[in-house]
Amino acid sequence: MDKKPFDLSKSRLTRRTALKGLAAGAGLAAAPGFVRYAQAQSSAPIKIGFQSHRTGIGAAYGRWYEKTTAAAVKAINAAGGINGRPVEVVIEDDGTDPGRGAEVVGKFATQHKTDIVFGTLFSHVVIGSAPAAGEAKMPYFVVSEGHHVASTKLNRYVFQPGITDVKSQIQSMAPWIAANAGKKVTQIFPDFAFGYDHRDYLPPALKAQGADVIAQIAIPPTESSFTKYFPQIPAETEVIYHVMVGPAVLTFVKELGEFYGSNRPQLFGFIDSLEAVDINSPGLEFLDGSHFWEGSPRYAQADDSAAQKAYRAAVGIDDNGAAVGDPKDVSTAAHMFGCWETLYVVKKAMEDAGYKGPEDRAKLVEATEALTEFAEGPEHPQGPKTFNGKIHQCFGIQNISKVEGGKLKVVHKTKIEDGLYEPEGDYPKQAL
Amino acid sequence: MPRHRPRGDRGLERLRSFTAENHAGKLAFVAAALALFLPVPAFAHASDRGHVLLLPTGYYLVGGAFAVAVSFLVLALLPPAALDRFWRRRLALFTLGDTARTVVSLLSFAGFAVLVAAGLFGSRDPLSNPLPLVIWTLLWAGMVLAQGVLGDVWSWLNPWYGPWRVVTRLLGKDGGEGKGASPLSRPGCWPAVILFLAFAWFELVYPAPDDPARLAWAAGLYWLVSFLAMLAFGYEDWSRRGEFLTLFFAMVARFAPLGQDETGRLFLCWPGAKLLAAEPLPPSGVAFLLLALSSVSFDGLSKTFFWLGLFGINPLEFPGRTALVGIGSFGLVLTFILLAAAFLLAVLLGQRLAGVAKSGGAGLLVWSIVPIALAYHFAHYLTVLLVDGQYAIVALSDPFSLGWNLFGTADMQVEAGLVAGAASALWLWNFQAGAIILGHLLAVLVAHGLAWRLEPNPGRAALSQFPLTLLMVAYTVFGLWLLATPTAG
Repeated sequence: MDKKPFDLSKSRLTRRTALKGLAAGAGLAAAPGFVRYAQAQSSAPIKIGFQSHRTGIGAAYGRWYEKTTAAAVKAINAAGGINGRPVEVVIEDDGTDPGRGAEVVGKFATQHKTDIVFGTLFSHVVIGSAPAAGEAKMPYFVVSEGHHVASTKLNRYVFQPGITDVKSQIQSMAPWIAANAGKKVTQIFPDFAFGYDHRDYLPPALKAQGADVIAQIAIPPTESSFTKYFPQIPAETEVIYHVMVGPAVLTFVKELGEFYGSNRPQLFGFIDSLEAVDINSPGLEFLDGSHFWEGSPRYAQADDSAAQKAYRAAVGIDDNGAAVGDPKDVSTAAHMFGCWETLYVVKKAMEDAGYKGPEDRAKLVEATEALTEFAEGPEHPQGPKTFNGKIHQCFGIQNISKVEGGKLKVVHKTKIEDGLYEPEGDYPKQAL
Repeated sequence: MPRHRPRGDRGLERLRSFTAENHAGKLAFVAAALALFLPVPAFAHASDRGHVLLLPTGYYLVGGAFAVAVSFLVLALLPPAALDRFWRRRLALFTLGDTARTVVSLLSFAGFAVLVAAGLFGSRDPLSNPLPLVIWTLLWAGMVLAQGVLGDVWSWLNPWYGPWRVVTRLLGKDGGEGKGASPLSRPGCWPAVILFLAFAWFELVYPAPDDPARLAWAAGLYWLVSFLAMLAFGYEDWSRRGEFLTLFFAMVARFAPLGQDETGRLFLCWPGAKLLAAEPLPPSGVAFLLLALSSVSFDGLSKTFFWLGLFGINPLEFPGRTALVGIGSFGLVLTFILLAAAFLLAVLLGQRLAGVAKSGGAGLLVWSIVPIALAYHFAHYLTVLLVDGQYAIVALSDPFSLGWNLFGTADMQVEAGLVAGAASALWLWNFQAGAIILGHLLAVLVAHGLAWRLEPNPGRAALSQFPLTLLMVAYTVFGLWLLATPTAG
């Protein structure tokens, strides 16, 4: 593609102007007797309802999803908006709470009358909100990486076109692990749904590569000391595949280091464990030389594309993946790119559909389902993707990064094909 | 676009939407059922509590308990009269008239009205709308601490006094502050206890306390109801019995090293010294102060792995506040009952132990809770103040999200990194732990001074404090544990 990266240096739009205006609009729309003449004008903004984890346990992610969304909207508007109309984002906080998530989707549909709802990360909020989106016939674009959309167990209005789902991520790690880290793998994971994805999807994928999971150690979620579990790791283990999450992760790594000393098996993890945490924190020294999955690299890489560089500059992250001007504020780089890319998918689908307003939501659903691939470039800086309209899920490349010199260095990029699997259903068969 | 479809289409449309609704209903059910077993990636953040887990917090717990216990022993050996004289020293400053009080309060009311309007019509984002940031961060987290340091500035800043003065003037009432006999003298401050409980429930249990519009309604209605009550019962009377903010702020202001005497003269004194001269509180006042402390304690407790584990809730897959309304309501009340029972038992036991006949000890000794409440407040809200305080400064420059920049802060970068990472965790922990331990040390000191008022015999006064000191040692450990234990989010 010959598209040039964004040059926002001349744009006078600030972050606030990207997200402003929604307030007064919301107030007016709520006022009785207000006739929305503006709707008929072609210059009326496209309203995107941003279901945001502003408070609650998702707030650390929510903050970066908001920054990325603001940057993408600013870039889209600077380049002429969608179908020549400016994009306006209405933020509603869902408190990272499935109950409120459903309520917020309802508010977007009836009160703010947004064109779509977008931006949800936490899976339980997605699952809690999806029925409300279906009932309101509201296109719902999530950035969650859960397998729930692709499982086709939600509904036809729910899409995940900007980030690969976890099943695909796990599966695509297997070829590299088997070829480079070792053939005998022990998994350590938290004993609940998050861990079960890894428990269930990794063994068959490794098997197909001639490697084996030789032990699976499930750790109770409330555990804060781990040394007693380590003797369960078989001595012949070549790779420890770990996906611990929560506040005790640092303790886990520290104790694992104390258990093994300098003579350890290979370590492979998902950066979800340490998203938004400085990799050089005390206690994490043991991770030096180990490998992590990353959706999009936290650290700037020597071979970053112009699009990747422009994306990082637009969102405001430095070479270490922290906020420009606030080096301790480490971003959720591995996931937040999904907000940027999803908004460009929405733009493409709306333009394909000739989208005019909420009455065209069904057309937007069909236009999104008709999408098949997204080329790497300014709109998709993380990399190329394919999209499966049957399961409303995109598939992209994944990064495997090595902790080296206090940074994460990408040592392998997977192929899209590594993460493909048989569709589990067919959303377009559902009535609109 | 065909916004007005031909009538003939309507039936078809209705039929379509009917079947779709049915379908959507079924889907909703299926999805709800799915939520129970579908693999759910969660992003439980390896938050800054993770860094605290690596600190030697156990030493702090032991050291804190030891310091509080030792302070009791040291005080028991000191001659109480000399200590009392030393502690009551004051440094007179200047006289501050209250002529501007009405104007300041009217300005504050105007600001409040703008904030409520912002809550209704401004951004829906609780980190961009100034109302939730001002109410929860600046007022609740910040003002309590300001009162504890500066004294009763709220008596000037509250948004009721000015409007009340103006309206009573206009209505031809005397404008007196209702200090005389009151129809409310019998209920004590139980109205404030009930209202504080409602406030704490809204803050800690209700699913959406940050929603700008809901908060605008809640705060606006609360202002109005309080204002009407002040018109009916007198400003002073309702402020002491019903308006929980003013009552709580006035109580914590008694800790401040700055005060004002009856003649209007400002003075400096030792922190907590003003508590020594306090009048005993009625049972409702005791309940009020204990509720204030227990609610902040519960806020900390409710997020711990321990508490969530009691109810079989996976903290790494925190289900959100909507799912926890019942457990939260129960916990809020339970924490209060446990603290109140422990406190009353400690006071009663102490009096038994020392053979003190005089009753009403609890009403006086409860003032020793004030330094602890302040310490908990500081430790608990420190990070909120540091980060959300910045969001507040940004939001106030553009209260309606119209692109304004009233104070030149609208484009200020919010530095969330201030509280992130291992280095921050270390200094935050030290400040928080230091505050908890210092608060309890001062509480022991205050209780010691108050006990001497109840029982002039130094030996017996000290003995009467023994159970209460044990409670304070336990609460020190509890407070430090709340800051050190794994939490959700």
